[in-house]
Amino acid sequence: MRFMRTKVVAIAAGLSFALAACGEAGSNGGGEEVEVDVAENAAENFDDGTRMKELAESGSITIGVKFDQPGIGFKGAADDMPKGFDPEMGKILAASLGIAPEDITWKETISDNREPFLQSGEVDLVIASYSITDDRREVVGQAGPYYITGQQFLVKKGGTDIDTLEDVKGTEVCSVTGSTSLDNAEGVGAKPRGFDTYSECVDQVLSGTVDAMTTDGAILLGYAAEHPDDLEVVVEPFSEERYGVGYSKDSPEMCQWINDTIEESYENGKWEEAFEATLGASGVDTPEQPELDPCEG
Amino acid sequence: MTAAEASSPAPSGAGTGQPLVVLDHVNKWFGDLHVLQDINLTIRRGEVVVVIGPSGSGKSTLCRAINRLETIQQGSITLDGQPLPDEGKQLAKLRAEVGMVFQSFNLFAHKTILENVTLGPIKVRKQKKEDADRRAMELLERVGISEQSHKYPAQLSGGQQQRVAIARALAMEPKVMLFDEPTSALDPEMIKEVLDVMVDLAERGMTMVVVTHEMGFARTAANRVIFMADGKIVEENTPEEFFTNPQSDRAKDFLGKILKH
Amino acid sequence: MEDITSNFDLVLKAFWLTLQLLVLSGIASLILGTVLAAMRVGPISVLRKAGAAYVTIVRNTPLLIVFVFVFIAAAKLGWFVGTPFVIKGVAALTIYTSAFVCEAVRSGVNSVSLGQAEASRAIGLTFSQSMQFVVLPQSFRAVVPPLASVLIALAKNTSVAAAFGLMEATARMRYFTNNNADDRLWIFLVFAVGYIIIVELMSVGAMSLERRWKVAR
Repeated sequence: MRFMRTKVVAIAAGLSFALAACGEAGSNGGGEEVEVDVAENAAENFDDGTRMKELAESGSITIGVKFDQPGIGFKGAADDMPKGFDPEMGKILAASLGIAPEDITWKETISDNREPFLQSGEVDLVIASYSITDDRREVVGQAGPYYITGQQFLVKKGGTDIDTLEDVKGTEVCSVTGSTSLDNAEGVGAKPRGFDTYSECVDQVLSGTVDAMTTDGAILLGYAAEHPDDLEVVVEPFSEERYGVGYSKDSPEMCQWINDTIEESYENGKWEEAFEATLGASGVDTPEQPELDPCEG
Repeated sequence: MTAAEASSPAPSGAGTGQPLVVLDHVNKWFGDLHVLQDINLTIRRGEVVVVIGPSGSGKSTLCRAINRLETIQQGSITLDGQPLPDEGKQLAKLRAEVGMVFQSFNLFAHKTILENVTLGPIKVRKQKKEDADRRAMELLERVGISEQSHKYPAQLSGGQQQRVAIARALAMEPKVMLFDEPTSALDPEMIKEVLDVMVDLAERGMTMVVVTHEMGFARTAANRVIFMADGKIVEENTPEEFFTNPQSDRAKDFLGKILKH
Repeated sequence: MEDITSNFDLVLKAFWLTLQLLVLSGIASLILGTVLAAMRVGPISVLRKAGAAYVTIVRNTPLLIVFVFVFIAAAKLGWFVGTPFVIKGVAALTIYTSAFVCEAVRSGVNSVSLGQAEASRAIGLTFSQSMQFVVLPQSFRAVVPPLASVLIALAKNTSVAAAFGLMEATARMRYFTNNNADDRLWIFLVFAVGYIIIVELMSVGAMSLERRWKVAR
């Protein structure tokens, strides 16, 4: 029975560690709020029959974001609203429809359900570190990009020989199960280790179970900022991930509106404000404003 | 020697050998039920003891306690001077010295007749398979089942199964044989074939404790009859004396009931 | 569809890992589960209680939590850090499945009449010999159907490993569906068929075992 008891304590200790890690992340999840200018009588700006008009008239919008990526889209257990660059972009888009931030319904989208949620109308927009790819554009609309990042590695500070992409050959590299980033790592001979969430993957790096975590540099910077003494981001970005705003193919007219609104945020400084308050908080310089893909037709 | 002992064909020296099984102030409870009450009993080498009594008198429990299939709470049981050990290898070793025959035969259903008899000698006595087989066939011959040795228990009649069970116990060359109502589950025409084997065994000088209602067997083969009721030994005597002249009311009452048939 | 056909070796590789997880943790669970069952029906009270406690704790814990314990919580305590992922996956599946194997075997042992165990003890077999030569062989027939259910559940439970660094079939499927947003239905079907084949082979095997033991009596 003595053995049983220690085991139970160990389980409890392990779980409370896991919980503690979540709590920690929550406190650093994003910077201060950014003020947005909510348009008045916005519905008048849109033509009849467009999805924008419908949304503006209804006064509410549902936006899918990540809840587990500090800096990009993160919602701690105690938070009312997700924080990060993606939600800030969502607020800017909603504001142009005359919808105030508090009237936005935030929905967590994970990598697997972004397209199904758009197709079924579960969400109106997906702004969830959603890389633009040709495959995805077959089934959903993607406007933007509003941010360009590239794949890098997150490793234990000072305890690694990984300087270039090729150095990960033979090492164990984790990411989220199903992500393209792991395919790239596998392609150069790393052993792919997929986990359900990025935070579990970070835990594996911290405990030394895997050698590195890989995904978009923006996400890695968010975690490095949480553990500045233990983790660092290495290797020049070796892929180009262009984050876009996903919308349903049933409403192609949304593309131009999204692009126009992003363009406007470039010009009035809201885009930079949003970046500095979120991803920029980890100390990186604000990048150049990405050039938007033209909308079809 | 009493007249009764002289009349029975028991082996020479019966009742005069050294004590083999000794029960000393044995008590056992099933919950609140006091099933064995201060039992004192000595069984000598070569002796055949028949235990009779109404159902619920504790006679089966007594029999099963001797090889510790039932544990006791007070008192001691010794076999050949050795107290019964607790669970474990020592107990297994002791049980190998005590043959047991059950009311419901309990042959190993997934093994042939021959394998039933050789399992113990091979696994416990570490005999070679050929030696165990040869000895088993001799024993099966003795109980009249040698032709069925390749069959499975379910293919045999009850009487045949019980004779195999006796052979299985004998294969261990036990110091004492316990019989727990060996004929109670048998059809009447099969009882005799089993009793014949048991009488033969008694004549060869085997020490036996037999729980049974077979008065014929008791008269023919037993040196002593123990009458139990309500967990106590009420009377103990030679078969002749007991059946013709029971002392206690309980015994008179019991005999009256079973002899009417 | 093109991606999955031209990369079919990846599909096979993933199912190979699924099979490895299934076979390794299947064998380990059968051994550990039988030992646990023996503890639970055995004569030693401490072991009986330990076996019962194990089954109660593990059987009432979701498999996902067992995985989280082995892969995440244990790592925080510094345990299993250098252990290969496959071994950790097998360990998590075995910890969980053996509790169910234990109960299936125990029900089989209980289906063998008490007289069989008494008779084997009476000829001097020790507890483990009695289990090995008399009780367990007779319990197999009663054990095969519930054990088959347990192992079929295990086959499907291996997919939980997808979320814990193991590139087995379900994990590989998620890579395909993520990279080929337009082909999801086909990818689902290909992987579903893979699982169906594995499970169907197992039930056919179980049925033939059942039939063979029926004849052997």
